[in-house]
Amino acid sequence: MTFDLGMPLLAEVALFALAVLVLIVGLITQGNAHQRIGWLTLIGLVGVLGLTFVATEGASLFSLSFVQDDFALFAKRLFIVATMVSLLGSLTLRHSTFARRSAEYHFAILSSLVGMMVLASARDLVLIFVAFELMSIPLYVLTGFLKRDSTTSEAALKFFLVGTVSSAVIAYGMSFIYGVTGSTALEAIGPALADGSPLMVLGMTMLFAGLSFKIAAFPFHMWAPDAYEAASTPFVAWLAVAPKAAGFVAIIRLYVEGAGSTSLMWMPMVAAIAGMTIVTGNLMAIPQSNIKRLLAYSGIAHIGYMLIGLAAFSSSGVAMMLFYLVAYLFGNMGAFMVVEAVAQSESSDGIDAYKGLAQRSPLLALAMLIFLLSLGGIPFVAGFWAKLYVFWAAIERGLYGLVFLGAVLTVVALYYYLLVARRMYIETSDRTDPIPVPGLLGLAIVICLIGVIGIGVYPGPWVDMALRVASTLF
Amino acid sequence: MGLQPFLVLSSALFCIGLFGVITRRNTIGILLGIELMLNSVNINLVAFSRFNGSVAGMVFTVFTISITVAEMALGLAIVILLFRVRRTAMADHLDLLKG
Repeated sequence: MTFDLGMPLLAEVALFALAVLVLIVGLITQGNAHQRIGWLTLIGLVGVLGLTFVATEGASLFSLSFVQDDFALFAKRLFIVATMVSLLGSLTLRHSTFARRSAEYHFAILSSLVGMMVLASARDLVLIFVAFELMSIPLYVLTGFLKRDSTTSEAALKFFLVGTVSSAVIAYGMSFIYGVTGSTALEAIGPALADGSPLMVLGMTMLFAGLSFKIAAFPFHMWAPDAYEAASTPFVAWLAVAPKAAGFVAIIRLYVEGAGSTSLMWMPMVAAIAGMTIVTGNLMAIPQSNIKRLLAYSGIAHIGYMLIGLAAFSSSGVAMMLFYLVAYLFGNMGAFMVVEAVAQSESSDGIDAYKGLAQRSPLLALAMLIFLLSLGGIPFVAGFWAKLYVFWAAIERGLYGLVFLGAVLTVVALYYYLLVARRMYIETSDRTDPIPVPGLLGLAIVICLIGVIGIGVYPGPWVDMALRVASTLF
Repeated sequence: MGLQPFLVLSSALFCIGLFGVITRRNTIGILLGIELMLNSVNINLVAFSRFNGSVAGMVFTVFTISITVAEMALGLAIVILLFRVRRTAMADHLDLLKG
């Protein structure tokens, strides 16, 4: 086998090498190495992102258990971009823990990213499980990273317990799938489901329950607000996007690609979970007084909207879910970055800290407004097209009730987003000094703004790309 | 002996573990429950592997065992950290975050 830059697994190996390098640099540098390690990680990630663009599409390894198809490459780019935006934000963190243990922070993020990247390519139950755990375990560490703080360890423990139980449920479900099919390859799932073996249905249902924990869908969503409130904001911005996207990737691999034509039998279950997730997320967001909790519950609602796309179980449905993920990435991460800027200056995550923001820092308030409008689904920002297309795909499949529910609750969502906007634009504050925004955090916000407005004004190429990626799965 | 007794054993173990996770007030007890759940997976996999005549299940078991160890090590570390900061390991004392 000759070496070329398009080889499958090369990006993952490079990423792992980068993670080890970061750890070594952290060991040999003395004093505050946060900036140096952060930049090293960012530059390395640019290289890995480049590798995903020269990768040979359709190449595979280990008798098809590791594939590098369109879908995998799309997911990998999404994960890397999300990580880069988050790292831009975390470079400005002044907390002493980040100064002392920066290498560990970046190592944990990079190893979690390796897990996500392998997961995107995995087409084998064992590989999916191992990649999922490689992704999840660093997340518990990162949630409890500021370990002197009394709330972070509590949040880390809650997140850990819920996450491990869900891993156990996933593994238990997988053991039944292996038992019925006698193989760990995804291709074996479809025929076994078509035979209607009850153990197989049990296994796939347990697997879905476990994966719902990971994406924080309705009955299993309670860990998200706690983890979001306690952990550091740039990490939370990433936690709200990348691992959720990875969970969706695993679901698509297992239930769309693996189950094949039998996937339609999951439609009622997914539709029910989607509906309940939207209702819970949106209603629970209304009474929140902490902006991170509000964004956590609104994020749960967005997971529900993405599940609508999945519930359609059609090529366009999955495509629009992927498009929704891209729009959600920029909108949600942008909002969290503004939260970080305000929190650094005001030392508060309360919604009341946003009073009079429009007078103090008009540009920051405008950015926050655009992100909130995108999350709410107002025309000409990314979130509008995302919601519209997801609804459209569901209507094609006759899911009228679900679309109606989603549309009604969009109005509820706008209510609590505009509550924040009212504090920024209508209420006044005693303080008039502008909020200082560190340059790199500003850059992260600008990147998210470009993403949100760019997709909002000109969604065509993104939709085409999502449609092309999804069409390879059916 | 057929496959069935093994499946009954593993599902009983899984349910006991889940019951422990839900009812235990001490976080160490919850960790033990999770351990039981993960071990029922191993019994399942090895039994299926034996009766399917394929070695893949055994390989899967090796991975689940090592992942379980990693998870439990991290879990205990978090519990110790929590005990140092808050002087408690009881799950119902963890009420700083809610809403």
